[in-house]
Amino acid sequence: MIPSGSAAPGLRLPRQKPAVPSLDGALVSVAALVGRPVRAQDGSLVGRLADVVVRAEAVHPRVAGFVVRIGHRSCWLHAEDVAGVEQGRIELANSRFDLVDVQRRSGEIQLVADVIDHQLLDVSGVRVVRASDLYLGRTLGQWHLVGADVSWKTFVRRALPGRPKRTPTPGQVLDWAVVHSLAVSEGSFRLNRTQEGLRLLNPGELADLLDDLGRSERRELLQHLDLDSAADTLEVLDDDDAVALLRDGTPERAAAILSHMELDEAVDALRDLDTDEREQILASMAPRPLGALRSLLAYDEDTAGGIMTSDLITIPIDASAGRAISEITAARSRPDQVGFVVVIDGEGHPVGEISAAQLLGVHPELPVAQVISTPPATIAADAGMDEVVEAVVDHRGSGLLVVDELGMPLGRILADDLIDVLAREHDRRWPWQREIGN
Amino acid sequence: MTTTKTEAATGSKPRIASFAALAAVVGPGLIAGLSDDDPAGITTYSVLGASYGYQLLWVLLISTVALILFQDLGARIGVVTGQGLAGLIRQRYGARAGMVSITALVLANIGTTTAEFAGIAAGAEIFGIPRWISVPTGAILVSVLVLRGGFRGVERVLLALSAIFLAYIAAGLLAGPDWGAAFQGLVTPTLPPTKDALLLSTATLGTTLAPWGLAFIQSYAVDKKINPQQLRLLRVDVIAGAVLTGVIGFFVVVACAATLHPNGIRIDDASAAARALEPLAGPLAAELFAVGLIGAALLAASILPLSTAYSVCDVAGRPAALDDSIREAPLFYGTFATVTVIGAGLVLLPGVPLVPILIGTQVINAILLLPLLFYMSGIAQNRSLMGKYAVGKLTASSYWVIIALVIASVATLGVLSFT
Repeated sequence: MIPSGSAAPGLRLPRQKPAVPSLDGALVSVAALVGRPVRAQDGSLVGRLADVVVRAEAVHPRVAGFVVRIGHRSCWLHAEDVAGVEQGRIELANSRFDLVDVQRRSGEIQLVADVIDHQLLDVSGVRVVRASDLYLGRTLGQWHLVGADVSWKTFVRRALPGRPKRTPTPGQVLDWAVVHSLAVSEGSFRLNRTQEGLRLLNPGELADLLDDLGRSERRELLQHLDLDSAADTLEVLDDDDAVALLRDGTPERAAAILSHMELDEAVDALRDLDTDEREQILASMAPRPLGALRSLLAYDEDTAGGIMTSDLITIPIDASAGRAISEITAARSRPDQVGFVVVIDGEGHPVGEISAAQLLGVHPELPVAQVISTPPATIAADAGMDEVVEAVVDHRGSGLLVVDELGMPLGRILADDLIDVLAREHDRRWPWQREIGN
Repeated sequence: MTTTKTEAATGSKPRIASFAALAAVVGPGLIAGLSDDDPAGITTYSVLGASYGYQLLWVLLISTVALILFQDLGARIGVVTGQGLAGLIRQRYGARAGMVSITALVLANIGTTTAEFAGIAAGAEIFGIPRWISVPTGAILVSVLVLRGGFRGVERVLLALSAIFLAYIAAGLLAGPDWGAAFQGLVTPTLPPTKDALLLSTATLGTTLAPWGLAFIQSYAVDKKINPQQLRLLRVDVIAGAVLTGVIGFFVVVACAATLHPNGIRIDDASAAARALEPLAGPLAAELFAVGLIGAALLAASILPLSTAYSVCDVAGRPAALDDSIREAPLFYGTFATVTVIGAGLVLLPGVPLVPILIGTQVINAILLLPLLFYMSGIAQNRSLMGKYAVGKLTASSYWVIIALVIASVATLGVLSFT
């Protein structure tokens, strides 16, 4: 009944189509309702409608009340005091209602002031849109916000002179269930239900959306994301954009997000901050990523050490395959998701490397010495980018082990780190910008 | 001894850091500044100097002050809100205000694009190339440059070519101007009571403080994701760009006032305007002028349709970028094509005079500026959008003074035209 936005091409998770509630009666356009008379039962004019207020707790938020302009005053009209809402007017249920000044309450959104003409996320079409109109529908005796018209034709129609037509003429309407509003609600209240929709977006899509949003909307969206999604999204963004986002929030929030990022990506972002900002963020970080991050920050950004992650599993050569398996299993929850163990000899030098796949079906008692084949491809921490690229090409492997001058393992470079280095993609907005960065 | 050393060390470090930080945000202001000295700007300033000598230099001074104030404001709004101008106006003031602003912006940009193509035509005519060849070629070149992005470094060549107008500084100095008269013209606001003088003054305002420049600087600040903490560095860039515009404009007027005005030369075509460069370039003045004109026109013509397309998509809630395909972003490419085709097409209409186009479009600019300046000033004072970066009463009143001046000149021009 209500078509959702056309899906953009590309790989993505299957989306659940939200059930459209059965509506009794027609949709009511919020934009057309504004300025309409509010009348008492006897038909006498009470005031004019200024705004519609919803409680943002459900998929289709319930209308809590209305803002009515009476003279120069904005008064609050509770939804219960309204007998009927039609396109042309609003009729009161009682002959009297209390003139209460409008107060902003936590969890309430004023549709005209906060949503119409503001930026919204269309979660199903993965794009940033502006609401041209909103639609109310009546289910089970109550009014709910059911849809958002995001067409620019409706915007043009609203902008042209003359009163809006009584019957809504929707262009492109999205079910409110696939819309994520970034209206900043008062207090610490968060729009819990619509976060479900955000979960369907992959980090690349979130990164694209963040790019198109205004600053306060961007900050709001980042607040709505859980730490893992926020961290994954920041990993996708290029360093400048990631830093801009970290600066938008509090140092504590930045520290929390960085702790959920892969070490090498977190270091990249930290490197681009000013010293003061960086120290402020590091100060509110737990000791576990802090030590690793500080040692990684010591490397020059254009060297192997500068792009490696130091999250590494090392086991001695006399250990069993069972220990390798349990170490990999234990590391699964860490942001870097280490899929390799490095086997070291008595002096700590790497002698081999075992991937999780090589351990499949291997008897747990078998010593790792019998599983390793060739010594791992290594590179010095101070090697430049050209050498790193050459080494990866030569070894045809998925990554390199980074070692210090004594040959001790320090960290690992994976192919995705190199892709980040080689292909920094930017949106090309002006003629002098490159499609692929320098 | 030791203390001095430490002081020196701590003293120099932030300076190096801030220079690097400046390099990171530098660009938009200077680009906007250089593109402001486009064919329309150079022609308007030339005619101002040729027709009225040094007398109207004060108009340029006021226009430059207005440019500094509003470019700075545009950059600030972009940085703080992270949104483009037209979209923000729609969000803050509603659909009608959004429509009024985007209509004004699109019309002004089509006008200025027309002026750029007129500049290409005028420059090419100096080399004997007819406009029916130069204008379509220019339009295609610009579109390919912007849409395909295959010309590595072309934009730098264009920027370098438009920097040719820096030659006016030397030409102005070499022309032996009457500095006393120039100073007097700069600080004494007198206006000959003719429609022509008022028309030129309005055009000077409209070409210096162009609507597209305001939208461009804001959009660029948004795009670069500059942080409010870096705002001071961006202001350095913006103010430098605006001052550069004013300085070049000043020397164009001075050069024309010293060479053309005493000899009673009226500027009817580009070769007449080019004679102001003769003190510097001698017989090559026309060629130098033409190359600069074409370079600056191509640079501005590559930004204008693009900037317009971003603004339209922003206000319609359809963000788009050059990476999108035509099918994904029909509104974006549709706007781009419309602005380019109308701009080039108007110049190709048979018998259209180039100099009146170059100046007339800038008068229209001044009129269409009004809604934008009005809403920008409102946003600047809005605490819920601008937070602690909202402007105080003093700065706000300087915006309103500028707006009042624009209204006064447009209104008087209207009265003079219809009486």
